[in-house]
Amino acid sequence: MKAILKIEGLSKHFQLHDQRKLIPSCENVNLEVHSGGLTALVGPTGAGKSSVLKCVYRSYLPSAGSMHFREKGGQVTDLAQISEQHMLHLRQSEIGFVTQFLHCLPRKSALEVVAQPLISRGESRDIAQNKARELLRLLNVPERLWAVSPATFSGGEKQRVNLARGLIARPRLLLLDEPTASLDPATTERAIDLLRIIKSEGIAMLAIFHHPELVQRIADDVVELSPPIAAPELLETCCS
Amino acid sequence: MKKILEVRNLSKIHGQGCVHCFESTGPEIDSNICPHCGSVVAAHGVSFDLHAGEILGIMGESGSGKSTVVKMLFFDDTPSAGEAIFFDSKQQHNLFALNNAEQRWLRNHRFGMVYQNPSLGLNFNVSAGGNIAERLLMNDLTHYAEIRHRARMLLSRTEVLTERMDESPKKFSGGMQQRVQIAKALSTRPPLLFLDEVTTGLDLSVQARILDLILEIQQELHTAMIVVTHDLGVIRLLAGRTLVMKYGRVIESGLTDQILEDPQHAYTQRLVASAL
Repeated sequence: MKAILKIEGLSKHFQLHDQRKLIPSCENVNLEVHSGGLTALVGPTGAGKSSVLKCVYRSYLPSAGSMHFREKGGQVTDLAQISEQHMLHLRQSEIGFVTQFLHCLPRKSALEVVAQPLISRGESRDIAQNKARELLRLLNVPERLWAVSPATFSGGEKQRVNLARGLIARPRLLLLDEPTASLDPATTERAIDLLRIIKSEGIAMLAIFHHPELVQRIADDVVELSPPIAAPELLETCCS
Repeated sequence: MKKILEVRNLSKIHGQGCVHCFESTGPEIDSNICPHCGSVVAAHGVSFDLHAGEILGIMGESGSGKSTVVKMLFFDDTPSAGEAIFFDSKQQHNLFALNNAEQRWLRNHRFGMVYQNPSLGLNFNVSAGGNIAERLLMNDLTHYAEIRHRARMLLSRTEVLTERMDESPKKFSGGMQQRVQIAKALSTRPPLLFLDEVTTGLDLSVQARILDLILEIQQELHTAMIVVTHDLGVIRLLAGRTLVMKYGRVIESGLTDQILEDPQHAYTQRLVASAL
C-alpha cells in the first residue's frame, strides 16, 4: 500500500541571527506513515523528534528535504512546499496534532476546548459537544471537570483533554508528541486502546514515544533518530 | 478557498518623494525617512492575498506602516502606488481605480472598520443605536421599527446593554465603545472587516472578551478580517497567517504559529524573543 506520508532527507536547523548561531535540530530524516499504521519516532532528547512533527505540521519551516502527503482526493503534495492557505486547509480537514503540552485559554472549558476542531470544520456546536463528551468519558476525564478550564488541571488530565481534542475531528494523519507521557498506568491503557481503535479506523499516526514497551505494543514501524552533530564550521559560514 | 482580496505593491509616501526614496529607506537602512528629500516612506511594495473567511494578522511596531496599509484599503488614505482588487460575490473591484462615490459605497456596504480610537469610527453626537442606524440607512433600510430592531440585535450580540442604546457612546467605557464600533461595522454583514489595534489600551479582561467576541463572530459569519496589532498575544489568538512589517516593508510572512515558533528574519526573532 502507498504511504500517506513519505518524508525524505528532512533536515531542520535554526539560524539565530542575534547570537550568530546555526543550531541543527534534525538531520536527514527518512520515514513513511501508512493509513491504519503507527510509525513511532524514538531517540534520545535532542534528536529532533518534535522538530520532525512540527515540520510536518509546518509550525517549523523545513531547511531541506521533502514531505509528500497523499491527500484525500489522491493527489500528492509536498508539505515542505505548499502554500500557507493550503496548509491551513489541511490542518482543518486532514492533519491533526496532539502537542506535548496543551495550550489553552484559561476562560474556555474543557468541553469547548475539545469540541473546537469540529466547530472550526463547520460542525454544529451541539453535535461537536456531544462528541466531545463521548471522548472525555472514554478517556476517563471526570465529568465534574468538563465545564472547567483545563488550565487548572493536573498534567495527566490536561494530556487527556489534549488527546481528545486531537482525535475528535478524526484526521487522516495524526501527529502525536508523547501522548501518554504524563498518564497513570490505567489511563495509559485506555489511551492505548483508543489509539488501537483509531488505527483500525484507518487513521495514520506519526508518534513520539519514550517507553520502549509501548512502542513494541502499538507501533508498526520504528524510526530511530540520533542527535545531529553541531558542526562548528556551519556556525561560521551561516553568519559571515 | 475563494480569494477575496489581492494586494500588490502597495506604497505610500508622505511628502513630495523622489527617485531615491525606496532604495534609501527600509529595514536594512534602519529608517523610513528618505535622506534625499525628507519624505517618509510609510509603506512600500506591500503584497498579499486574503481568502474568504480568513483572519490575516499584520504585526509590527509603531511606525512600521501596518495601519497605513489598512487605512489605504479602507480609503482613509490614498496610496502613492500599487493595486488592490476586491473580489465581491458577483464582481470584482479595482479599489484604487474607483471614483469617490464607488469607494464610499464599498466602505458603507461591503467593508467594515474598527479603529483603535472609537471617536474615528463612531459619531458621538448621536446615540449608540443611532450610530448603527446611520449605517443601516445607507444600506437602504428605511423602516424605523426594523432599523431599531436590527440595532438592538446587533448591540445585544456584541454584549452592549440594550437599555443604553439611546445614550451617546461618549458616555460609554472604552471597551463598550469598541463593542458599539464592532456592532456598527458588522451591521451590513460585510465580507471584509479591518481591525486596527482594537484592543490596545483596554483592560486585560476587557481585551479578552472582545477578542473572544471577534473570534465567535468570525466563526458565525465567516467574515474575512485583517487584524493590525503590535501585540503578539492578539496575533496568536486571532490570526491564521501573519505578515511582519518594519519601516514600511513586509519582512516576513507565514503561518502564525510558524512566525512565532520559527521566525526567520532577525527582526522577527528579536520581536518574538521580547514577548512577555
